[in-house]
Amino acid sequence: MNITGLDCLVFGVDDVEACNQYLTDYGLTPKDVSAAGGRFEALDGTAIEIRHQDDPSLPPALPTGSMLRKTIHGVADQQTLNAIAEELGKDREVKRLDDGSIEAADDMGFVLGFQISCRKPISVPAEKINAPGDEPGRPVNVIGADESIEIIPRSLSHVVYFVPDSKKAEAFYIERLGFRVADRFTNLGPFLRPQGTLDHHTIFLVNTPPEMQGVEHFTFHLGGPNELLLAGKRFQDKGYESFWGPGRHIYGSNWFWYFNSPMGVHVEYDADMDLHDDSWTPREIDASADASQIFNFTLVDKWMPGGDPH
Amino acid sequence: MNTSLRLCHLDDISDGDARGFDPLGSGRDSLFVIRDGSELIGYLNACPHRGYEGTSMAWRKDQFLNKAKDRILCGAHGAQFDIRTGECLRGPCPGQSLTPVQLTINEHGDVYLHPTDTGK
Repeated sequence: MNITGLDCLVFGVDDVEACNQYLTDYGLTPKDVSAAGGRFEALDGTAIEIRHQDDPSLPPALPTGSMLRKTIHGVADQQTLNAIAEELGKDREVKRLDDGSIEAADDMGFVLGFQISCRKPISVPAEKINAPGDEPGRPVNVIGADESIEIIPRSLSHVVYFVPDSKKAEAFYIERLGFRVADRFTNLGPFLRPQGTLDHHTIFLVNTPPEMQGVEHFTFHLGGPNELLLAGKRFQDKGYESFWGPGRHIYGSNWFWYFNSPMGVHVEYDADMDLHDDSWTPREIDASADASQIFNFTLVDKWMPGGDPH
Repeated sequence: MNTSLRLCHLDDISDGDARGFDPLGSGRDSLFVIRDGSELIGYLNACPHRGYEGTSMAWRKDQFLNKAKDRILCGAHGAQFDIRTGECLRGPCPGQSLTPVQLTINEHGDVYLHPTDTGK
């Protein structure tokens, strides 16, 4: 199945205005935003959609009250869309929506959408560094420390589900939709990559008791670790609550910085994730602080040794 | 130290709203207080959600409540709590409750934290 990655996550929220402001401050570009919600896009057109929790257009909420109402995966072509509809139609209802997409629930009850991907090709340089021994990343006289840079998240990266049965959930994504295991935390669950992308994972499954079913976090890719640190600092300076980071994960290698949100999920900035293909042999280890990150920092106030000179 | 810590004046918290406090200067708000008229209700800023015990609950500075301001909403995983009892009403920690902190308001409206409930 040529699934290319996440196109959109749709939330039904309690406080639309707060979520609209949050996602705008996070750096996404607001589209068609009103008191009823809106769409918040990354550079490549992938997005978060916000609606009020009582919006009748939304699929039903999970019994736990998780505000995520739909996960929309992009696919490469109509042929893939038809193949998914046929496969999932064997044992569940598959709705065909007016926009040409299809909708069905996974084996845990998360509502999924599949559409010919809205992800636009983008051509934006990654942040560049200079290091002895390599060609200069930046041309001479081009500065690296520019506090004024505009930082727009580039692409919707991944979503992490809390699932009551990670084995069953994993089997659905692997056997029915052709996802590959990238790596695995033995005691939690797998990092999963669909066939149409090289990104380490677009879904990570975490086994939890049924009453916790929902979402741990979602994240967008930024242009590099400097962008991540600067975007996170700007976000924290606006009063948003850091949860974890900045740091760098081991599985996936992505730099991370997580924040609380009014969607009742963590929202991450990530950068510089590993790419894999089917020649990759998945690693496996019990999750722990040591296994999860190579380092973890906390932002502190700016400081001048010896005090500010006057 | 056995003296109560002064947090603020009653009027420093808008009626019906919440505010976080960092009485020990730990760098993050260790407790939060909700005002209902002349009454105050305080809890440790620590979600009881299993595996995430101690997680800060605001999604932005002082944002601890839902839109209707009739429940506490955790910005980590969406758990909802009763403002009066601290009991989880919906979300990932059913049967669990927030940890209350004891507050006193003196005749001038100054709000004090009981010395054993500093959130650390």
